[in-house]
Amino acid sequence: MSTMSTVSTELGILTRFEVLSACLLALLPCVGCGKTAESVPSKVSQVGTTEVTAVLEEVRGEFVNRANYDYAFVMKYKVKAVHRGSVEGDTIYVAHYNPQKARSSAADARVPDIGGNVTRFRPGDVHRIALEAPIDDYYMGGIINRYFDEYKGVIYWAVWTDDAQ
Amino acid sequence: MTRTRLPQLGLVLVLLLAICAVGLIQVVAETTGAATPQLLDLFRRTPTAAGLRAYETDLEQNSWCGNRIRVATQLAAFVTFRDLGAKALIGRDGWLFYRPGLEYVLEPCDGLAEAAAAIVAFRDALAERGIKLLVVPAPEKPSIYPERLGLFAQGLKKPMATHTTRLIETLRNNGVECTDLFSTFAGASGKPLYLVQDTHWAPGGMRLAAETVARRLAELGWVSPGQAVYDLKPVNLLRQGDIVEMVQNPAIAERFEPEPIVCEQVIDAEQTPYKDAAESPVLVLGDSFLRIYERDEPGAAGFVAHLARELRMPLASIINDGGGSTLVRQELYRKPELLKGKRVVVWEFAERDIRFGVEGWQRVPLPE
Amino acid sequence: MVFTSQIFLFYFLPLVLGIYYALPKSSEWRNFFLLGASYIFYGWWNPWFVLLMLFATAVNYTGGWMISRAPHGSARRKWALAGSVAVSLGTLGFFKYFMFFESNLNTVLSWVDGPTLAVLQVTLPVGISFYIFQSMTYAIDIYRGDAPPARSFADFACFVSLFPQLVAGPIVRYNTIAAQLVQRDHTLERFSSGSALFILGCAKKILLANVVGGIADSAFESEAPGVIDAWFGVAAYAFQIYFDFSAYSDMAIGLGRMLGFEFLRNFDSPYRSASITEFWRRWHISLSTFLRDYLYIPLGGNRRGERRTYINLAIVMLLGGLWHGANWTFVAWGGYHGALLAFERWRGKRGIVNFLPRPAQIASTFVLILFSWVLFRSPGLVDAGRYFGAMFGLNGGGAIAPLLAAELYSPGHLVLMGLCAALAFQPVQAYDLANEVTWPKTVALASLFAATVAAMFTQSFNPFLYFQF
Repeated sequence: MSTMSTVSTELGILTRFEVLSACLLALLPCVGCGKTAESVPSKVSQVGTTEVTAVLEEVRGEFVNRANYDYAFVMKYKVKAVHRGSVEGDTIYVAHYNPQKARSSAADARVPDIGGNVTRFRPGDVHRIALEAPIDDYYMGGIINRYFDEYKGVIYWAVWTDDAQ
Repeated sequence: MTRTRLPQLGLVLVLLLAICAVGLIQVVAETTGAATPQLLDLFRRTPTAAGLRAYETDLEQNSWCGNRIRVATQLAAFVTFRDLGAKALIGRDGWLFYRPGLEYVLEPCDGLAEAAAAIVAFRDALAERGIKLLVVPAPEKPSIYPERLGLFAQGLKKPMATHTTRLIETLRNNGVECTDLFSTFAGASGKPLYLVQDTHWAPGGMRLAAETVARRLAELGWVSPGQAVYDLKPVNLLRQGDIVEMVQNPAIAERFEPEPIVCEQVIDAEQTPYKDAAESPVLVLGDSFLRIYERDEPGAAGFVAHLARELRMPLASIINDGGGSTLVRQELYRKPELLKGKRVVVWEFAERDIRFGVEGWQRVPLPE
Repeated sequence: MVFTSQIFLFYFLPLVLGIYYALPKSSEWRNFFLLGASYIFYGWWNPWFVLLMLFATAVNYTGGWMISRAPHGSARRKWALAGSVAVSLGTLGFFKYFMFFESNLNTVLSWVDGPTLAVLQVTLPVGISFYIFQSMTYAIDIYRGDAPPARSFADFACFVSLFPQLVAGPIVRYNTIAAQLVQRDHTLERFSSGSALFILGCAKKILLANVVGGIADSAFESEAPGVIDAWFGVAAYAFQIYFDFSAYSDMAIGLGRMLGFEFLRNFDSPYRSASITEFWRRWHISLSTFLRDYLYIPLGGNRRGERRTYINLAIVMLLGGLWHGANWTFVAWGGYHGALLAFERWRGKRGIVNFLPRPAQIASTFVLILFSWVLFRSPGLVDAGRYFGAMFGLNGGGAIAPLLAAELYSPGHLVLMGLCAALAFQPVQAYDLANEVTWPKTVALASLFAATVAAMFTQSFNPFLYFQF
């Protein structure tokens, strides 16, 4: 029994360690929640010719992930507000370049001028987006458009995408 | 504490520290970077199977520790075993191969019928408008240089009997005109037709392909030579191969010297580099095999420019990286002006796209 | 969740361990917490699957409750058992075999020019074969008097869903764990031994199984492998399935120990077997003993004469094969093993080449096992036939074989295959190594874990092979 209790004591050390870790994990996000990204004015209002706030309605299928090329991926949005320029209707189709990556790291040598603070694309998210159209005037590369069969209108090019949750 | 318990405690602490550290570091990195910790995403919406998969993928791709450790691990694997990971393979004399290109040659290919059907449908749609189609599958490196893969592959009969040969046969049986670059390349001698560290052809291979296509167009009587006069201007450049870039590891990339390449830029009488002309009767569609040297350095020295020189006329082109199967035709749909006045469409695609083409081989209508 | 994924290793596991040990020491509290954690673990694949598991749990708990309430030998007791077993097997049958049955029925109908049925697409819930079998043992063990009824539904649900062994075994029988659900010891010795086993399992999966799995994939997916390539490929698969499946068992047992549980050993150097009979005493022990105790012996075992013994063996192995998956390849795999077992029994449980020295017997048994893995790995019987053809040079050598060779025999692959062979054929396996933790082992295991985690970051999603069963 004495061995057992010694061992239990040792496990007790671990217990506190583990609990501390768990608490830290739980607390740190709260610290993060207090921060805002507002200290630097976003480029979303400075780039592109159109600026909207829209709900990401659908991300159709999986992103294409190829080692050799990055693609732009068309997503369906419901427009909530138009801040600059104009859009056709309240449903728009927007192509985001390299959508697996956070917007802050999505740009590359071929597509240098995109950005934003959105880290991932999930249906239901609300984004403030600076847009250009038509896409082929601003982007030369593969476009994954899973709406091709049902929608033949304008595809917007997302220049800057910020979270507007 | 007895001597037996100390190592036990040590091991437990090592394990717990390791498994706790990654998550903690991630949260700290995200909070100090003014981002909302990704962990919280889990509680933002109703969990579904797809949502959870996506969440997990995000977590892995954005792992602060993972992204840093991965670089070192890949380098260690490369230094120890000459292993370049899942995407690339090192052959003899420093030749690099893109693994999906090799897999295309080695493994069964289910997409032949689908590809053939899409090509035939495209040919038919063009024919309705009086436009001819010439299909040009670009050979993969392993098809042309299998012996560069390793000692085992010495003495192989070239070109490799790949699925592409079967596709070309099927297309020809359906009356689709195809250019067989495999035979042309297999019979060529001299400098390598492909780059050592890249998936694409070398300037010599590209030029041979352009000459072959031009000759075929002339034989068919589809294009009459134009009046334009183009000249060639040699340009030396250094190129980091795309296979090296695909490894996505700067530490490994540093160990590959950029490849010296001698290109021939196509220039007109005013010494200006070649430029496309949208109103040309010939439209060239294709992927990165067209882009290399043309839109990349040095510019106007790729397949399109050299084909234009052979045909003595400027051409129209749509180049869609990695999109030779479907995306390039969707782009054509968005650019109806490029089809106006066309008599011939030359459609190039990398042969591996027969199986691995992005978005498969969809039927894409011609623009209105 | 997959043990060798970041979400499990760096988020789920530390949180579960932290909260588990922070809870009061009462097993009821901890079991209840484990139940919730296990449902999250399982629901991570698809939250709806949890409802199915809850259904199987409720059915067998109710069956066990009715059995325990009914007098011994009463019809009610038998009906309760029959009911819970029938519902469990019916559930398994529907989710795992319905599509197989329908597509085969359509094949038969097409032979007689009959109308074919639209095949209902049924999603196979991950790990269903394991937890259905486990939950069935509850009612059976109570019926046989081998275990007492569970203290509460939560305890029983915790047993069924216990995340360490939920998805790919070992198959834990209720009677082996009933007492631990009520009272288990959490000692540093057990925790450290569990940690060691978990690290070794992780390393086997990430550093060995995933890499040699790539070799096997290349060979099996090739259109025309050469003779040596085909043998090399199936040997790689033999190592992959062993290091993958035994790794999962090691991690499961290791995690169990961290939480105070002790599960039975599932592998015992199976490739050192000198006969197929011995192989089945060393491979997936929890399945072979399950089939022995819950199927072979109830069928009469070897007590009803020689012929019946062979028939029983064949039935057990065919069903054992089918348990692995709804495909004729698994039936053929089971039939092949059943035939070999029957043959060896006929020879007095001696291997086919028992006249040779033991190393030669081990080698020849390994070759026999390789043939069975061709059946196991191939997507269909035609593919298996094609692969057998390649192993014996009947496919014309394969014009592209030299290209495959260039991919297969890289320096890294050759080193890994050599290492796998050395580890698989030596007697001391992870389970034995983890029994005692010393300083040298601690240092070695820490280094191994660092290497494993580093390698894990470079690998894409790679679930365990046995998840599909």
